[in-house]
Amino acid sequence: MRKTRLSDRLLQISTILSTLVSIIGLGLIFQFVFARGLSLLSIDLFTSNYYGHNYIAELKPYEEMTYSMPNFDDEDVFVIERFGIALRQGIDLAGNGVVEVEYVHPDSPFNTMISAEVGVDTVDMDANNIIDRISYVDHPTSLSRRGAEVMASELNDPERVINQVFFADLGGGIRGSLITTLWLIFMTLLMALPMGVLTAVYFNEFAPVNMLTKTMRTFIETLTGVPSIIYGLLGISVFVPLTVALTPAVNTNLIAGSMTLAVIILPIIIRTTEESLRVVPQDHRAASLALGANKTQTTFKVVLPQATQGILTSTFLAIGRIIGESAALIFVLGAIVRDRVSIFEQSTSLAVHIWSMMTDEPANIALSSTIALLILAVVLILNVSIKLSVYLFEKRGKQ
Amino acid sequence: MMEKVISVENCDLFYGDFQALKDVSLPIYRHKVTALIGPSGCGKSTFLRTLNRMNDLIASCKVKGSIQFNHEETYGNGYDVIELRKKVGMVFQKPNPFPMSIFDNIAFGPRQQGLKDKVKLKEIVEKALKQAALWDEVHDRLNQSALALSGGQQQRLCIARAIAMEPEVILMDEPTSALDPIATQKIENLIEELKKDYTIVIVTHSMQQAARISDYTAFFYMGELLEFDDTKTLFVSPKLKQTEDYVTGRFG
Amino acid sequence: MTSKTSNKTSLSQTDTIVTNALMVLALIASSFIIMIAVFITAQGILPLITNNRGLGSVNLWHFLTDTVWLRGDYFVSTVYGAGFLIVNTLYIALLTVLLSFPVGVLTALFIARIAPRPIAAAMRTIIELLASVPSIVFGLVGVGLFLPLIYNLARSLGFNSAGGYSVLGTVFVLALMSIPTITAVAEVSIRQVDESLAQAALALGATPTQANFKIVLLAAKSGIFSGVILAVGRSLGEATAVALVSGNARSGPSFGLFQTTATITSTLLQGLKETVGIDYDIRFTLGILLMIVILLTNAALNFVKRKVGNQDA
Repeated sequence: MRKTRLSDRLLQISTILSTLVSIIGLGLIFQFVFARGLSLLSIDLFTSNYYGHNYIAELKPYEEMTYSMPNFDDEDVFVIERFGIALRQGIDLAGNGVVEVEYVHPDSPFNTMISAEVGVDTVDMDANNIIDRISYVDHPTSLSRRGAEVMASELNDPERVINQVFFADLGGGIRGSLITTLWLIFMTLLMALPMGVLTAVYFNEFAPVNMLTKTMRTFIETLTGVPSIIYGLLGISVFVPLTVALTPAVNTNLIAGSMTLAVIILPIIIRTTEESLRVVPQDHRAASLALGANKTQTTFKVVLPQATQGILTSTFLAIGRIIGESAALIFVLGAIVRDRVSIFEQSTSLAVHIWSMMTDEPANIALSSTIALLILAVVLILNVSIKLSVYLFEKRGKQ
Repeated sequence: MMEKVISVENCDLFYGDFQALKDVSLPIYRHKVTALIGPSGCGKSTFLRTLNRMNDLIASCKVKGSIQFNHEETYGNGYDVIELRKKVGMVFQKPNPFPMSIFDNIAFGPRQQGLKDKVKLKEIVEKALKQAALWDEVHDRLNQSALALSGGQQQRLCIARAIAMEPEVILMDEPTSALDPIATQKIENLIEELKKDYTIVIVTHSMQQAARISDYTAFFYMGELLEFDDTKTLFVSPKLKQTEDYVTGRFG
Repeated sequence: MTSKTSNKTSLSQTDTIVTNALMVLALIASSFIIMIAVFITAQGILPLITNNRGLGSVNLWHFLTDTVWLRGDYFVSTVYGAGFLIVNTLYIALLTVLLSFPVGVLTALFIARIAPRPIAAAMRTIIELLASVPSIVFGLVGVGLFLPLIYNLARSLGFNSAGGYSVLGTVFVLALMSIPTITAVAEVSIRQVDESLAQAALALGATPTQANFKIVLLAAKSGIFSGVILAVGRSLGEATAVALVSGNARSGPSFGLFQTTATITSTLLQGLKETVGIDYDIRFTLGILLMIVILLTNAALNFVKRKVGNQDA
């Protein structure tokens, strides 16, 4: 008797332990991504370029005046009323002092400057840029090494005439990848939603019950078991050459990426839509046909509208899949982060951006975690949206 | 003279706020068949389940009163419910053999108690199957899956499974309601045989079944025990009008 | 009268047109799997049967059995070997199942039969969340969390480990990805087990734990096994997460837990430089190999499942 109780205890303990492992596993993922990625999260992340850029610029001719500046309640911020800019004393990742641009007045001559680079006309200085140094006519250069306060007081000196401004855009933004991801979602859904929904409609409403239909169904079901890297191979062997031949694309590109993603999410849309079509009561179809409507009208006017919630769910599921996809896109879209995105060129989605940074030397874990945080947040919202739409739809149905 | 193997006094049972059993008192006599009858929802199955404390599985269930098995309070502090269930076995409404071989199904209970001796197990299985009148039909395919048997055979298997534990009491919750008339007959004959060695408490919807096979009958209605008597008396000259109405089919 | 008849005809004509149009769409949708098979096989077979622009063809036997990915220089040599990759892939999948199966099934048991309702609902949400995490995030957490852990573990045990890139790291990441799949499927199967089976076990004097483990899990085993097959399929095909933590060994096979390793999928992702030539085409050959490995493994596991299932009619 005691022996049985002992083995019972052991089994119970292993059950609890296993559950804890699952919970801890999830906790670890979220905690890691949060801890490493939260600090970099900011609006600028979504609007900045990824690649840093150094600028050399000269001021356009301007009038000497005093700009009205907003109130900065920060002792690290130094205001230069003469030019309408504010500087902040900051520290870079290596611990050295840097001069950050805190604010640029819209009318400030620093807002749009003449670029000293060949082939570029103007360049803008924005908040979060870093000023390296400012050279003057007849005065020693303001160096960032000496700090923001010194530079600010030197700039405020009415006798100083600026020669050139040396500043940098640190980059590290994900705007390019964000735009790529949005394009991917849009184009993929454009291609896959109609095809998926109409195929589901065919199978559930029009298709005869025969070997051909059964075979078609099996073929589509097998798509779900295919690993995404194989889709990548399909993409580079079919969709890339196709787009290269028919469009201005020369290599891996966004359109080919969308086409590949469309094939990946097709079975999801078909299956979810079919499920929601099946739930529509047969009576409705019978009633419509009995009124003299044909199958087409019955399907599109009576049945399909009732499947709207299912189609919505499949859309959310598809978006989640698109955002999370990496292997196939690495092949078909490329792994080079771009700031300027064109649908005929290669770029990276958010997920592939993480891959690109993680395969760099050294791996940028911080920014990767921030993007991962973003992705997880979106996935969470999508999951909640699905549950919400199901709940609301059922509630409406019961009324 | 007539020994009470189970004795229930003033039993109340609550599911949360709802009282399912009200002040039920009745004896179960050894080596007799006691039938519990009554309309749907009257509490007879609930009462049956108090006898082997299967109601414990429902969190909101509370039992008050005295239920004694062999003169011990089964709901008392420190009473070993596992031991109780070894001595008070149960057969369910729908046959539910485990997804294992016939042999393993019957050997399950003894194996749980730690019995490993293959010879002893074989003996137990054979004895149980013989007592359940199933041996002749399955003795040559003990290793085949129990799910391959017919419904009636499966139910006799479940009876054999319960008997293998050598209980004192066998509780049966409408054991034939899912079976065809021929299988039902076989099981009713079986119950007649079984009462020589065991005490049987059977819940049944069929008045005819109760009249055919039981020695004592208890009539339940809306959670109360309205009448308890030996079967002949209860059916032929019941004391309450309600009992008479029920057994003559006027309601329920 | 005549107008009515012609109206009806046009309505059913519409039906015919629509049916055919939809059928064409459905046919296209069904054809993608064929496209995959045809195009990848066509390009993947090239290195094996053509002369690869004068370099000679890749020997099939050698490809299937050798333990070094490439002997010689890129675009000069044709001596590719994927034998060790097959072994690695299967070995890692096996270890992953060994780790994730008990955790997944026991968690499912907890959710389905032991946990009180609110906790069970919360756990189900947790598992759903885990299941929606993209593989790249698993790879990221693997690199940031598991690799340093493994590196330190190896050092304290006296082993050499290349910065933590290892079989163990790969297995941890894949196991974490497999647990939600197994748990979700197992939980559904366990819940579908008829309650009266468990009650029958209890009525025979078994404890609740015994009833759960000896009867309920047994009755659910077919469904649970399906979950395992699903998880194995995903582990075999996972690319980015594995590529980030495996270390991408160029030879093998790697059996030691702290050794770097490589799988078919991780090798597929490496070194994408050119778009023509043998180093490019060989990727497709690897693709064919991957598909065959997955198909065979699925078939074998399904065979086992049917065999075991048949024992209980």
